[in-house]
Amino acid sequence: AAMSERSRAEVDATLQTAKLNPAELLPAVHCLSFGPQASAGECCLLQLEPGLCAELEAGRSLVIRGEKDEKAVLCSKDKTYDMKIADTSNMLLFIPGCKTPEQLNADAASCNIIHSQIAGFSNNYWELRRCRPKLKKLRKLLMEDPYEGPNSQKDQTLTFSKYTTEDLLSLIQASEEEILYQLQVIDACKIEGYWRVLEFNYEMKLLDHVTQLIDSESWSLNKVPLRTCLEELGPLEPREMIEHILLSYGRKYVDDAGEVYFEMREDKICRAIAQMLLQNAVKFNLSEFQEVWQQSVPEGMTTRLDQLKGLALVDKSSRPETIFLLKVEDLPEDNQERFNSLFSIREKWTEVDITPYIQDLCAEKQTVGALLTKYARSSMLNGVKVYNSRRPIS
Amino acid sequence: LPCLSYSGGTGALAQWILVELQGEVEPRQSRSLAGSLLGDLHYTCEGIPVLIVGHHILYGKVVQLEKPFAVLVKQGGAPQPSPGEPQGHYTVTALIKTKLLFKTRPKPIITHVPRKV
Repeated sequence: AAMSERSRAEVDATLQTAKLNPAELLPAVHCLSFGPQASAGECCLLQLEPGLCAELEAGRSLVIRGEKDEKAVLCSKDKTYDMKIADTSNMLLFIPGCKTPEQLNADAASCNIIHSQIAGFSNNYWELRRCRPKLKKLRKLLMEDPYEGPNSQKDQTLTFSKYTTEDLLSLIQASEEEILYQLQVIDACKIEGYWRVLEFNYEMKLLDHVTQLIDSESWSLNKVPLRTCLEELGPLEPREMIEHILLSYGRKYVDDAGEVYFEMREDKICRAIAQMLLQNAVKFNLSEFQEVWQQSVPEGMTTRLDQLKGLALVDKSSRPETIFLLKVEDLPEDNQERFNSLFSIREKWTEVDITPYIQDLCAEKQTVGALLTKYARSSMLNGVKVYNSRRPIS
Repeated sequence: LPCLSYSGGTGALAQWILVELQGEVEPRQSRSLAGSLLGDLHYTCEGIPVLIVGHHILYGKVVQLEKPFAVLVKQGGAPQPSPGEPQGHYTVTALIKTKLLFKTRPKPIITHVPRKV
């Protein structure tokens, strides 16, 4: 049989026993009882960071992402948060239909007795902390099967290593906007509905077609016409690929007559050509490399070592000086692991040298300096400030 | 796909209230909590919450939460998400923007034989 609800008379009797003066109280009382499912533990609390409450009220979803071996994150449309349980020594009861004094005062016709059922209770809740989206996996997935061009035999047979946007959303611990932005950053493109990155040699082949055409047509590097590129190179490569390489290595604009042109990106082209040269050996004599490099880039472009930040490292201590490939995207994503990796490659780093390799670790308002303070120890070497590991590296 | 969302329904997301108490909640008798009374919640004319629980009076205050809570209900009737596995399908049932915080030590009510009404 259902428990009978408390009556006003019983409430008043309790007030009297408690020696509380009804005249000092608002007329309405909430009689709190535990709802039928209160102990079932089906409800839990999630503390919302600024902005998330408004998103929920606007009808947008929040998603928890993470496979069994990953620590779960929560994603809004454009941000990613780490999730952590916070314990409290107090008991938190969550109660539907319970009114505040303001609400009672505002509603003159409110009932004298409100029977409120406690929906659940807890002594902990989920806490959120904004974090960097975990995007290294994105590149890893797309590199499982890079696109090698329409003539490649591979593409006809392998279909399991290809990912649609929805696939990526379910596998990558990041918000949709962060994922789409990163796809742009890594020059991914959609081929037959799947996101693909170009295999590096194929990408360089496409770039080479374009730079050779620019040279033979004597175009200005700032005014490369899309239409002519498609006409001249169409017989050699798919039109989508020609346009894709122009978009990757140039800045698109439209002139007054409505014609599409590209302003070629000197730094990015020089950098790609450097990668092409450096990937063929463990390390190179620096001055020999610089000479070959300058000769390899399109006419009118100038190579500079600072174009290679996060791609290659110069060893100034060797005689002669050498340079070798070191790509930041090949290094670990976790802060401590990244620093361990860097210190095992080189014992002592200057801030200038290490910055390109830790810049991406900075959280929302964090500086490289703050990271170095936390993960490294500084000392002076020949009058220059250098950083080394806080702990012995095996 | 593990998802938290307020899935449709009529009108806006429900607003609940949090009541924060010191200590633990235990049933007076040995039977389960479900259905049993906690107590009476009053407000003074100045808006101070007063909770009468058993033989105690608790005075508290209304606090607007800087960080509101979302109340999540796990679908499929599974037990409460544990720290290791928050994955799963959840519905946001309500938002909590206000809490009634009872931090003062409860004042015991000295009773004589309760008066029958």
